[in-house]
Amino acid sequence: MKIVVCIKQVPESNNVKFDPVTHNLLRSASTGRINPYDKNAIEAALRLRDTVGGSVSVLTMGPPAAEETLRDGLAMGADDAYLLSSRAFGGADTLATGYTIAQAIRKIGGVDLLVFGRQAVDADTGQVGPIVAELLDQPQVTFASKIAVLDDHTLHVTRDLDDRKQTIRLTLPAVLSVRSELNTPRYETPVNIQDSFTKPLTVWNEKDIAADPTRIGLQGSPTVVTKVFAPENAGRQNQQLTGTPAEAVDQLINILQQQNLI
Amino acid sequence: MAFNWTPQQNMLLRMVSEFTDKEVAPFDMQIDRDGRYPDGLFQKMVETGFLGIMLPREYGGAAFDPEITAEVIRRMAVGNASAAVTLEGHYKTVDQILKFGTDALKREYLPSATKRIFAFSMTESTGGSNPMGIQTTAKRAGDDWVISGNKIMITNGGLAEVYCVLVKTAPDELSVFLVDKDMPGFSFGKQEDFIGLRGVPVGEIVLDNVRVSADHLLGKLGNGIMIGDSAHDDARILMGAALTGIMEHALQVAADYANERKAGDGTIGQMQSIQRKIADIAMGKETTKLLYQRAALLKANNQPYSEEATMAKAYGSRTAVSACDDALQVLAGYGYSREYPLAHLIMDARAMEIAEGTVEKMRSAIAIAELSK
Repeated sequence: MKIVVCIKQVPESNNVKFDPVTHNLLRSASTGRINPYDKNAIEAALRLRDTVGGSVSVLTMGPPAAEETLRDGLAMGADDAYLLSSRAFGGADTLATGYTIAQAIRKIGGVDLLVFGRQAVDADTGQVGPIVAELLDQPQVTFASKIAVLDDHTLHVTRDLDDRKQTIRLTLPAVLSVRSELNTPRYETPVNIQDSFTKPLTVWNEKDIAADPTRIGLQGSPTVVTKVFAPENAGRQNQQLTGTPAEAVDQLINILQQQNLI
Repeated sequence: MAFNWTPQQNMLLRMVSEFTDKEVAPFDMQIDRDGRYPDGLFQKMVETGFLGIMLPREYGGAAFDPEITAEVIRRMAVGNASAAVTLEGHYKTVDQILKFGTDALKREYLPSATKRIFAFSMTESTGGSNPMGIQTTAKRAGDDWVISGNKIMITNGGLAEVYCVLVKTAPDELSVFLVDKDMPGFSFGKQEDFIGLRGVPVGEIVLDNVRVSADHLLGKLGNGIMIGDSAHDDARILMGAALTGIMEHALQVAADYANERKAGDGTIGQMQSIQRKIADIAMGKETTKLLYQRAALLKANNQPYSEEATMAKAYGSRTAVSACDDALQVLAGYGYSREYPLAHLIMDARAMEIAEGTVEKMRSAIAIAELSK
């Protein structure tokens, strides 16, 4: 089974910087780490590979520094990696990102299964996986909580919904996004960490993946971030209520009502 | 000293910190209370590859250098010093097999050092700091050797599966042999109930006519003291790192408390008497770090490092006991309570004033080295 896991580099901490013009995250200025949910996607792919054989590739779009994130995936046990990196990809929204990834998947060719984490912790959209599935015209199952291999071309995938579970027979090639409850990701082992720097890592730009220039980066993004700001920290306030317990409760209710909290 | 780690080293150290934060640190107090690791923790360390971090690639290890190995120990010790010392005991033993083992012995045993704990055993009831007082013997039996005696207070004793044992091969001759727990005549004896580093199993092995082939001898006959000293040196670098981790842990607890505890209009962290303690802990941590890092750097560059390694542990152990005591004092009544880890941090650090050479012996060694320059 040829599996590609799409992963994302997200800021290491909340101390992030934004482009003052585009309002997009300045990825090159932030220390990155692998999106935690993507580790569940890699773990799911590695377990499938270990069960039925095949290969696991990790793929990301980002600045050259995103190579570090791909090395994390390789150190978990992936076989090779793809970095989609070009200034032309900068400022992409989820649609342009989905298009870019879909083009790369076409270029790789013969991919049986694409796996995504449930969402990225920096943007929280969860949209890229479904967009890629649509662009590749492949079936997709989101929020997988259990994956079983039926045969070389079919998976049984369970989805956990709010009020029920769904089990879906999924014919490959297909796209999956996985819940964090699906598994516990393995740690990068010291040996795999050493090996991750000798495994193949391919870097592609927009020409390599034959991308339509109007569908990538800022130009291919119908959504535009108009403003990004950090909410003001009001700081802790301390107020002591006096009187009998009943009087203090009345005062507390008044305060909460005045602040529209109840 | 390398303060700019390579990408591989950075990735390893990030993994170690993540592992420590998630898998080790949450059990720090429990490990001290129960005197054992929680179920599954040691197995998880093995599965994640901690035992093979410094082992060469040809034996299935990751071949990280002595500086990184020490850094791994420091980071682990911030979460729990016992876990760090369990690794230290393994690494120093593997180091002696790498240095002194025959090729056949290395090929036979080192591939399993990624899964099995190795331990070095010198101490007996009649000799520890006085190695000539030991009574365990190895006697020739054709091409083989037959070993008999009891070794006590072995770091990881009971948990380890492979032991390098210091024995007498003649009345005035000490040598080191490798024995496996699966060999006939090998059994485990008494486990110690120590007051610090309570997660580390420390126990006895009983060798009752254990027969080993001649290639289980490390180095040459009569090399026992030299190999024992080498094991001490390698251990002392890692203990300097573990002690630095302990001080880092104590500093975190003390600083957090000093910043939160209100006194008058401010916090106790604004008081100079508390600031002095915080500063002393921080300086102790950093100076110990410099000592063990320098020793590790010398080792990585194949230069003599015995004196520097000894200083790292001699200085680091006393400094860490004092630093943890300062941290306890910052927390006052809470510091003296088992609700906080400072009591066990003091005892963890205290162990390293004794293990791998008492501070008294270490000071003698440093002084002799200086006087003979």
